[in-house]
Amino acid sequence: MNCLDFRRRIGAEPRSTDPDLLAHRDSCREGCAGFWQRAQRFEDDLEAAMAVPVPDGLADRILLAQATGERRHQVRRRRSWMAIAASLLIVLAGAGMFWRQADLNSLPALAVAHMPEEMDSLTMTRPMTDAQVEAGFAGRSATLKGPAPNGVTYVRDCMVGPYPAVHAVTRMDDEPVVALYVPGKMGERDASFRRDGWDGRELALREGTLVVMAQGASRHTMDAVARAWRAAIEGPAPQAVGRI
Amino acid sequence: MAPVHGNVNPKQRQYEAMVRALSADLYRFAFWLSRSETVAQDLVQETFLRAWKNLDALRDAEAAKPWLFTILRREHARLYERKHFDTVEIDDSVPEDAAFASPERSGDAAQVRDAMLKLPDKYREPLAMQVLGGMSCDEIAAATDQQPGAIMTQLFRARQRLKRLLGGKAALEGGRP
Repeated sequence: MNCLDFRRRIGAEPRSTDPDLLAHRDSCREGCAGFWQRAQRFEDDLEAAMAVPVPDGLADRILLAQATGERRHQVRRRRSWMAIAASLLIVLAGAGMFWRQADLNSLPALAVAHMPEEMDSLTMTRPMTDAQVEAGFAGRSATLKGPAPNGVTYVRDCMVGPYPAVHAVTRMDDEPVVALYVPGKMGERDASFRRDGWDGRELALREGTLVVMAQGASRHTMDAVARAWRAAIEGPAPQAVGRI
Repeated sequence: MAPVHGNVNPKQRQYEAMVRALSADLYRFAFWLSRSETVAQDLVQETFLRAWKNLDALRDAEAAKPWLFTILRREHARLYERKHFDTVEIDDSVPEDAAFASPERSGDAAQVRDAMLKLPDKYREPLAMQVLGGMSCDEIAAATDQQPGAIMTQLFRARQRLKRLLGGKAALEGGRP
């Protein structure tokens, strides 16, 4: 490094501790050490001059502004969350009400709601003839395609909610089982339900829906009655062809 | 007043420490950029608020000062974009007296400050970054999107210009005789 390079570097970076610079300073006999010392003094003056007084409380004011902004941000964020929560609650409440409304209008709900005005039908014990049973279905323009179940004690056309239906009671093993056939009301699949003390099945038939329900009847009885009414309404199930 | 650390999260503590450690240097840098006490205070406030929002980007405590200086430079540039200040050659501008109202304003310091205020922006800015920020040529070059060689030239010329403004053969040689 020559003196010109040294002085250019010191002129740009007086505080540099580059070993090459310091080595030149210590070895040069052309006055570079003096140049370096004057540069350091000038730099001291420059640093002192540039250290203008800082306004009192600057740091505290900065922190106050930040803390205030942060608090405002938190409040805004909290309000946003509350708005989201409120919206969610409204949506959930709406969905709940919709579900409840849909549930109240379901066939099982309407069937159970229909029963208090027909409780007497459960006490009848005298079996009806097949002709009487068929006559009950004829009132709803429905015909039985199979033999009427044994032990039918009550048949009457009535309204289940808005739906015209045939209301029948079958007594099996001394247990009354209600069958409500709603022609034209097409269900998608079979389902079981339990509500207000009633156990029931909702069965999707080819031309309507059959609701079979009872209070405290055994599963075996329910199955037997459901099978019997399905066979009566749709006709006997076709014989399965087994493999030899 | 001793800082209260109870219930203060680490981010807030880091921020407070940074403000207390660096706000003075940042203010001085802002002052030499803007040559206005009021603007300098606004710039420092804005810089620290922006720093708070991006504090997670700061990984190294050593990098805090250059990082803040870079933010402040950008804020300063934005301020000028917003306000469309008239650009006046430095030699014709008049600095705020308030900046020199302290008893220190006498002798060499006042003369050096006057001379500093007369430096063109392109010299004054890198000089302030070096002297106040302790930034190397490479760091200034990275912060200002320039080549290190160009920064070195600007720093050299800045000091030469200052010495010329301060007058005297001794000053030209590098300071007091």
